[in-house]
Amino acid sequence: MLTVPTTCPFCSCGCGFYLLAREGQLVGVAPSETHPVSGGSLCARGWSAHEAALWGDRLRQPLLQRNGKQESVSWDEALDHVAGRLKELVNAGKPVGVLGSSRATNEENYLAGRLARAGLQTNNVDFSYHPICRPLLAGLEEVHGKRAPSIRINDIASSQVILLTEGNLAETHPRAASSVLKAVEKGAHLITVGHRKTQMARLASLHLQATPGNEGEVINGLLAAILDLGLQDRTAVPIGYDALRRDLETVKRTEEVRQAAEWIARAERAAFLIAPSCGQGDQPRKDAAAFAKLAAITGHLDKPGSGVLPLLARGNVRGACDMAVVPDRLPGYDPLDDARSRQRVQDLWGKKLPSAPGWSAESLLQSVSGLVVVADDPPSVIPRGQHAMAAMGRIEFLVVLDAFITPTARIAHARLPIASFAETEGTVTNMEGRVQRLRAVTDPPGEARTGWQVLAELCARFDAAASYSSASDVFREIGQAAPGYAGMEQRLSEDEWGGALLETFDRAKLVVHPAGAAGVAALTSVEHPYLLARDSAFDWGHDPLVSFSPTLSRDYRSERKLFPNGFVEMCKGDADALKLGGGRQARLTSEHGEAVVPVLVRTDLKPGLLFVPYAYRDRVSNVLGTDSVTAVRIERA
Amino acid sequence: MAFAIEKKAVTKWLEKLLESGEVIAPIRTPCGDVLFSTIRSAEQVVWDFPNPLYPPKECVLPQTDPIVKIRRNGQHHEIEPIHDGTRRFLFNARSCDAKGIAFLTRMHEMEPADASYLRRSNNLTVISLACAAPCPLGFCICTDSGPFLSDGYDAQLTDLGESYLVEVGSAKGEAALAEAQDLFRKATEDEVSQRKRLEEAARHHFGEETCHFASAMRRVSTGRVPDALWEKMSDWCLECGGCNLVCPTCYCFSVKDLGLDGAWIRCRLRDSCQYAAFTLEASGHNPRAQRKDRMKRRFFHKVSAQYYTRDDAVGCVGCGRCIKVCLGTTHMPAVVAAIRKGKWHE
Repeated sequence: MLTVPTTCPFCSCGCGFYLLAREGQLVGVAPSETHPVSGGSLCARGWSAHEAALWGDRLRQPLLQRNGKQESVSWDEALDHVAGRLKELVNAGKPVGVLGSSRATNEENYLAGRLARAGLQTNNVDFSYHPICRPLLAGLEEVHGKRAPSIRINDIASSQVILLTEGNLAETHPRAASSVLKAVEKGAHLITVGHRKTQMARLASLHLQATPGNEGEVINGLLAAILDLGLQDRTAVPIGYDALRRDLETVKRTEEVRQAAEWIARAERAAFLIAPSCGQGDQPRKDAAAFAKLAAITGHLDKPGSGVLPLLARGNVRGACDMAVVPDRLPGYDPLDDARSRQRVQDLWGKKLPSAPGWSAESLLQSVSGLVVVADDPPSVIPRGQHAMAAMGRIEFLVVLDAFITPTARIAHARLPIASFAETEGTVTNMEGRVQRLRAVTDPPGEARTGWQVLAELCARFDAAASYSSASDVFREIGQAAPGYAGMEQRLSEDEWGGALLETFDRAKLVVHPAGAAGVAALTSVEHPYLLARDSAFDWGHDPLVSFSPTLSRDYRSERKLFPNGFVEMCKGDADALKLGGGRQARLTSEHGEAVVPVLVRTDLKPGLLFVPYAYRDRVSNVLGTDSVTAVRIERA
Repeated sequence: MAFAIEKKAVTKWLEKLLESGEVIAPIRTPCGDVLFSTIRSAEQVVWDFPNPLYPPKECVLPQTDPIVKIRRNGQHHEIEPIHDGTRRFLFNARSCDAKGIAFLTRMHEMEPADASYLRRSNNLTVISLACAAPCPLGFCICTDSGPFLSDGYDAQLTDLGESYLVEVGSAKGEAALAEAQDLFRKATEDEVSQRKRLEEAARHHFGEETCHFASAMRRVSTGRVPDALWEKMSDWCLECGGCNLVCPTCYCFSVKDLGLDGAWIRCRLRDSCQYAAFTLEASGHNPRAQRKDRMKRRFFHKVSAQYYTRDDAVGCVGCGRCIKVCLGTTHMPAVVAAIRKGKWHE
């Protein structure tokens, strides 16, 4: 039995465990008591992490679509063909692009970025989850500077107050939820902000009810109440508070909000956990900024037991950002137009970099003629999934590098098989900024190669690669390209688990603008009296690591079998009044269009709200349009 | 009959065992964890160690357990059982784990007997190391599964300083000693009484965790645990299944066919009764759809009089692993205390 320490591939908590292998095959997972994040416990996903790589539909040999069928070809032929076709498109002046992934390693993402910028000479590079987390990260960045201050996941257990705006923490980030439970058990006040009475909300000292898309109103209420009580920490952010106070004058403060504000401000240690939210237009970014201000003016940044933690869904979201598989950044998450950073990367790559920002994932899919997708599956991640699928179907030349046969891989013109997380060396960066090693436990199946190797070979065909003999070589270069990662290789090699934290943020860069507290106009009207919101919790059911795991996929499979057309959720009172619930069909109508879907009753929802789980968002895409929350009319169909 | 072996001779004994089978023993990983693992040399074995978090039940119930190979042959399917006949020695298992494997074997011997399990367990010799110092979270004294054992082992070692006392509990244990007969001598009366003194001393060094099963059992068996209490407790469970997966006495599984080289390998996969889909039926109906119902079921199986009567033991060996592994706060001692007191976190 082989026991290999590695990093969990699922959410961005970044737990560690031992993968067990027998006769070259993955057979199980054993927990570790010494891992700095997981310290002995794992969530259900972690416990079944070995399954997808073993049981999944794997890509095993390079395949090219020719004459309407998939032909198995040699690696050289496949890579030459891919490079040739991409060059043809570029030479014909057609736009091309690259998608990295929050499921890919830092090395894979870094080389995907290098392929796009140095090889294809385009900033059309993004990853599917980026549009979802981008407003959240932008809001935090606006207040905290480039690197958000993070609280360590395990430090949350020592916080006295925890403010949590969540999708469903127990489901999305069980390890972080565990730390919250431990704090609450010790007597911490948990304050939840949200529209559902989730498991965490049931354990909270206070649950502050918010309307979908308007969580910011509650956060601004907390800011206003803190200023009312004069509890701001003037030494933490030396700004004129009068302007901020004026801006918040009209914001509603309930008794509960005042109580919560007092707990937050008077606590020595307070943790702020924020998940990507839904909302119209720029609202999610403003909400995140308000949240960041709250932590800043109460002085709860970057000290033990205090800090802000953006709850990013997938394992390597932070790494994908740091590696700059985003259209307007350079490695290190530096702005594209930062002269020093441009020079640094140009010198390193020996190529002039394109200067115009690229398209973000959604527009990119609509506009490019050639696309390289690295371990990403846009239809399962992007808010308008089917729209993305249809757009990909129109792409002239689609290349997919993946370990699994995803819906995207199925329609690709070239499929390049790469190693799964259990078969490759590399690093990932969790949401608290811990860079950790992945280690190869078994060989990739068939002719599959490690992702960094395949990308390096593609880069070489565009005269855009150094020669790498290992993933460590790529990681060393990342240290030169992204200053935060400088010296990391040494630090990882000194740590038994192969992990090290990125440096924390620079307190001097705190900026608290008073702007942005204006309330959101009510969306509902007499004609459209209900709010339909798209649940923002990440849909794990369509992720290959879950959908290919026999143990983890059961719930999702069963639900989809029972409700092949999806469903929306509403509270019992509303359902009774409309004679709905129990899967009865309802017609939803909004200004965008209409859809007929089954309705299920949920006990944790408030009247006037309809929810569509992320997995079924496409069933009501006519109704939602491009919004994540919209006003609707509902009636029995 | 008790024997003794000098400490410096143990390496030779292990070398003999390595010649005649696979030896699984606690080793220290470079990351600092202690794990039960197949050893290549006697030097790898650690002797002074906290009980590894991952239990050695892997020796009899692997997480992924291939049972039969199914191959299509024209209109028919050929089914070929997969036999794991490897002779294994589990060395330096702690008392609770030896008892755990004995418990699992009793469960799998029940009709209909599980041939696949029994083939493995029949080929497994459990050589346990008695616990002179109970582990900080252990409460095996509440479950009659430690710190020293009077049954449940094939051979039990006790550290006497210069030598180990070796008690033989079965023919398999005798055979393991016979592999290196000349290394063992008959234990002296002094050595036997020293073991008794060590056991007595160990009994006084338990930590704070206790589990008063008897009074919890009365309440669970007679349905006197209010539903509201289960509901309240279930909010403190994050449904990781860790309690089941590391429990030395849990043996729930599911079955799945793995496609491999044109054949299918039917595998038994370790499972958790705490997972929502564990009891999910093909129709979509789930008799235990709510977490509180699953939790109630778990503790009914573990501590009810009905199961105690059938199994001759509670479904717990007091190893304390669930305390460490629980992502929430609903481990065995916490829930048993709540059942006994009728309240949770108050």
